[in-house]
Amino acid sequence: MNASTRCFALLGLLVAASVHAADTPDAALLQRGQYLATAGDCVACHTAAGGKPYAGGLTVPTPIGNIISTNITPSTTAGIGSYTEPQFSDALRKGLRADGAHLYPAMPYTSYAQLTGDDVHALYAYFMHEVAPVDSKAAPTRLPFPFNLRLSMAAWNLLFLDSKPFTPDPAKGAAWNRGAYLVRGLAHCSTCHTPRNLLMAEQSSRELAGGAVGTWLAPNITSDANSGIGGWSEQELVDYLKLGHARGKAQAAGPMAEAVDHSLQYLEPADLRAIATYLKTVPAQHEPADTQAVDSWGAAFDGVADQRGTPLPDDAEQWSGAQLYDAHCASCHQPSGEGSFDGGLPPLFHNTATGRADTGNLVLVILEGIRWTNDSGVHMPGFAGDLSDRQIATLASYLTQRYGNPAAKVGVEQVRMLRAGGAPSHLVALARWAMVVAVMLILALIVLRRRRKRRRTSSGQV
Amino acid sequence: MSEQLSADIVVIGSGIIGALAARRLAQQGASVLILEAGPRLERARVVAAFRNSPIKGNWMAPYPPSPWAPHPIYAPKDNGYLKQAGPYPYPAEYIRAVGGTTWHWAAQAWRLVPNDVRIKSLYGVGVDWPLSYEELDPWYQEAEEILGVAGADDTGSPRQHPFPMAPVAEPWSMRRFRERLAPTYAVVANTVARNSRSYDGRPACVGNNSCQPICPVNAQYLGINAVEAAEAAGAKVVPNAVVYRIEHDARGRIAAVHYYAPDKSEHRVTGKQFILAANGIESPKLLLLSASDTYPNGLANRSGMVGRHLMDHPSTSLSFYADEELWLGRGPQSPSSINTLRDGAFRSRHAPYRLDFTNISQVLNVTNDLIKEGVYGAEFEKQLRWRAARQVNVKNVLEVLPNPDNRITLSAEKDAMGIPKPEAHYAIDDYTRRAAEVSKADFARIAELMGGTGLRYSADGQFANNQHITGTMSMGNDPASSVVDAFGRTHDHENLFICSTGVMPTAATMNSTLTGVALALRTAEHILPAKQLRTTTAHSDREASLA
Amino acid sequence: MALDEPDSVAANRDDPADPSRRRLLAGLLTAYTASLIPWALAQPAPHADRGAFTALSAILVGRQALDAAQAGRLYDALAAAHPNFPADVQALLTLINERHIDPLQLQATLDGEHSPLAPLPRSIVGAWALGVVGSGEGARCVAYETALNAVIVADVLKPPTYAYGAYGSWTVKPNI
Repeated sequence: MNASTRCFALLGLLVAASVHAADTPDAALLQRGQYLATAGDCVACHTAAGGKPYAGGLTVPTPIGNIISTNITPSTTAGIGSYTEPQFSDALRKGLRADGAHLYPAMPYTSYAQLTGDDVHALYAYFMHEVAPVDSKAAPTRLPFPFNLRLSMAAWNLLFLDSKPFTPDPAKGAAWNRGAYLVRGLAHCSTCHTPRNLLMAEQSSRELAGGAVGTWLAPNITSDANSGIGGWSEQELVDYLKLGHARGKAQAAGPMAEAVDHSLQYLEPADLRAIATYLKTVPAQHEPADTQAVDSWGAAFDGVADQRGTPLPDDAEQWSGAQLYDAHCASCHQPSGEGSFDGGLPPLFHNTATGRADTGNLVLVILEGIRWTNDSGVHMPGFAGDLSDRQIATLASYLTQRYGNPAAKVGVEQVRMLRAGGAPSHLVALARWAMVVAVMLILALIVLRRRRKRRRTSSGQV
Repeated sequence: MSEQLSADIVVIGSGIIGALAARRLAQQGASVLILEAGPRLERARVVAAFRNSPIKGNWMAPYPPSPWAPHPIYAPKDNGYLKQAGPYPYPAEYIRAVGGTTWHWAAQAWRLVPNDVRIKSLYGVGVDWPLSYEELDPWYQEAEEILGVAGADDTGSPRQHPFPMAPVAEPWSMRRFRERLAPTYAVVANTVARNSRSYDGRPACVGNNSCQPICPVNAQYLGINAVEAAEAAGAKVVPNAVVYRIEHDARGRIAAVHYYAPDKSEHRVTGKQFILAANGIESPKLLLLSASDTYPNGLANRSGMVGRHLMDHPSTSLSFYADEELWLGRGPQSPSSINTLRDGAFRSRHAPYRLDFTNISQVLNVTNDLIKEGVYGAEFEKQLRWRAARQVNVKNVLEVLPNPDNRITLSAEKDAMGIPKPEAHYAIDDYTRRAAEVSKADFARIAELMGGTGLRYSADGQFANNQHITGTMSMGNDPASSVVDAFGRTHDHENLFICSTGVMPTAATMNSTLTGVALALRTAEHILPAKQLRTTTAHSDREASLA
Repeated sequence: MALDEPDSVAANRDDPADPSRRRLLAGLLTAYTASLIPWALAQPAPHADRGAFTALSAILVGRQALDAAQAGRLYDALAAAHPNFPADVQALLTLINERHIDPLQLQATLDGEHSPLAPLPRSIVGAWALGVVGSGEGARCVAYETALNAVIVADVLKPPTYAYGAYGSWTVKPNI
């Protein structure tokens, strides 16, 4: 083959490639949209257990009542098939439905508001062309008064929605900016990890300082060395997000396990690293109870050796922590809590599960276990059916005492409440009571803002 | 007589077979009552009992018998429950408890090979089954999907659909056997009800190496999983209900069963259909116990075949030291075997067999040997590591032909409840002994290929029992020579069915549980056909587990 | 696990050169026996019987370090199971000492002489190695995970019922 024919052949290839691209002009776009949808973990809320992807119907318990996720497949009758791209964008970034009604902020539109127009475009293309339409509607959400008034969200948005897309910080590197964009936006970490105020809005001054997801604690992931992830290397953070665990640090459980399972494990390595880069710079929020790093407590301890030769009491309610540990935990975590050779079955010391002053997640892991839906084999059984409240309190206290933060206690009542789905929320009653105050506050704020605006406009004329 | 219980279906025995028949019938909407002689057990207590046991090599030790429902115990001392009439002992081990004997099985869930059901026609020995392998295939599949069976395709048992999951990851030791025995022998992954991935809410195996006596993490399917599934489907379980009599009416239909509670109070349970699923020893015992004026030889026994054709899989074995460190004990206990000797023209002359490699940690045996030999001082530790790293074992699993003289009868001795104990009459014939002799050449060749030293063959004429209780209530088309028909219905009583490995007319060379389950599912379908779209409950379970 | 390294279980780490310790066993041992016993294992004076037990144990199982708590549990169980245990221990230690018996020849020697002490080494090694004291129906488990037969191979194997590791971790060659 001489040079000119080679050129010709190359040209032919290029032409062929471009023709192919023209046939499916959106292939790359659709792929990006799919990636972004995965990063946004849309499927987590918009798919019911055993249901069709994105067809909605999942009940999301919130302190103000159960919110039922909607069908976001491109069905024109039951989903978002008739949405225009601007309507789609408004839903995503402003919490506005096509019919003008407001979404509840269980939909993390306050995070998605950060999305760039390009990414919204890719997501729109993906949802419209790649997701299979499902023509069945999920049950409507019915919240108690006053939250059933969707209009109230307009006032809420006025207060709490910052609808400006993400603007990169030129002083920071590309990785940091990418990380910030993902953390604050699509990955909507703050939705769970940032504490909320009385009106359920994220407290932006305490970004990622720890929040609640149902009964689970979404821990502090600021750069604080004791309370947060300040002591973690970037690689450990990447491992955690990719694998659901970082050796000698922590395991993802509950909703975080779902986030890793559905979403984070599929992110590109560069994106995970970017997230880690950004998280390491989030302003530290320290909790006084954490007198040392929550992943640094404890050491190997063998409470099992003393049990040999002593038959278990007939009444299992009377079993000691060591006896419960022997019977239920030691098979995987080993007699001294050291985990397996490969670390695949984690040690219980140097583990946030036992080192955190708030023992709620420890109790929940014992109750519910950790179970991934994929074939990773990551699977700790739940013991809700095997152990009573008292047994779990005894066992969990043994774990914090021997392997974790000895100041962290677990009570029978705490277990009972977590088993029952958490403390009853007073938020509805509180909200009703506070409504008058809130409305007045909102009005006052509106007035204030207008005045300020007027003042700014007038000063601008000078 | 206290409060009367009643149900559409009354199942006697809550082992894996009875419970899965119960589950399937309950799923079809029948009211199902399961009567279990033994108590309910908790996995955690069994685990703790094993760790506290002074005889860890004895897998019955964590399962002490209850006074009202004794089962055989041989160590530290024979409790004398299963009487031995000889000439060869049949020291069966089984567990009378909710969930039954699979509490401590190794989860080997083999299918037959197709020729196993035609050995009379093909080889002129034993009997033919009243059904074909092809008829069994879908029931095997359903059983495998319920149990969550992991297996390889090259074990000699054809299949229409894939296994629910890939073979369990091969331990290093077994890999070395496979590599070093090839091409002389093909070492393949065993077919096991052990998870190679999360399945049906249960985790993948994490290599506790205590499949027997107890899987601490619920990675292998046990009878208790079947019981819980039956209960979830609506079946009710009555533990500590020691059935001592099955009552028939004037037409020969079963009207009720009678049980003792531990306080010996008597209870009567009525039903429309009855399933006897109390294993291959307790079931014939109960049929014989239920003799009446109309049926003086016991129920379902007009053929006189109840209790006869008792079989097992006797084993001989070879232990030796391999010339490299293999460290048995990493991963599950029974990972691999050789399956090429399970069928062939030789079956007209001697028994077929499987060759099974253990991956059970050798530390306990080696320690006992060292203490016995008086190896003390620095040499103790050195030898312990050397031997534990290199000691391996291969055993055969031999077929036994059905022989009416091998049988379970009622002993003159009675248990604490006043119920006659079972008595075993057993012998091992030349057909089986010849195969043991033949397999010694395989043992020697395997040892040679592994660079083996210190070869220790099990004593000539000594066979280990494998607890695969088969025969005793054989199925067949001829009511004169069999107890149940091809669907498990007793020839003599229209509404009495038997679900048990005891209905297997021959023992073949595979652990019998999966075949027992498959036959029981087929029996359940025969009693109450699955409604449309419900035939694939196992498939929907699988989908749920994948979702 | 390298054989010459001390065991991971905590040993009684008193100063081996402690003169009071030497004095304690001086009447009992010659240089031969002493060479087999790590001095760290000798016990304070009020527990001379236990000290002799630990010394004999060290000879029999050939370990440089033995866990003190385990020694206490085993001694208590053995003493409860054998009426003359402390005296027999002293007697056997004296015998080994006087006749310079190689531990590897000990059992054969005792068996050959039909010594009444013949069952003792097996009881003691069985207790340390298997964690089992007594025999037959009187047998009792006093240790499992910390029995020497678990400890000696702890770098390669977990005792049965304890997970080896995450699924499939057993497929690779043992890393010795």
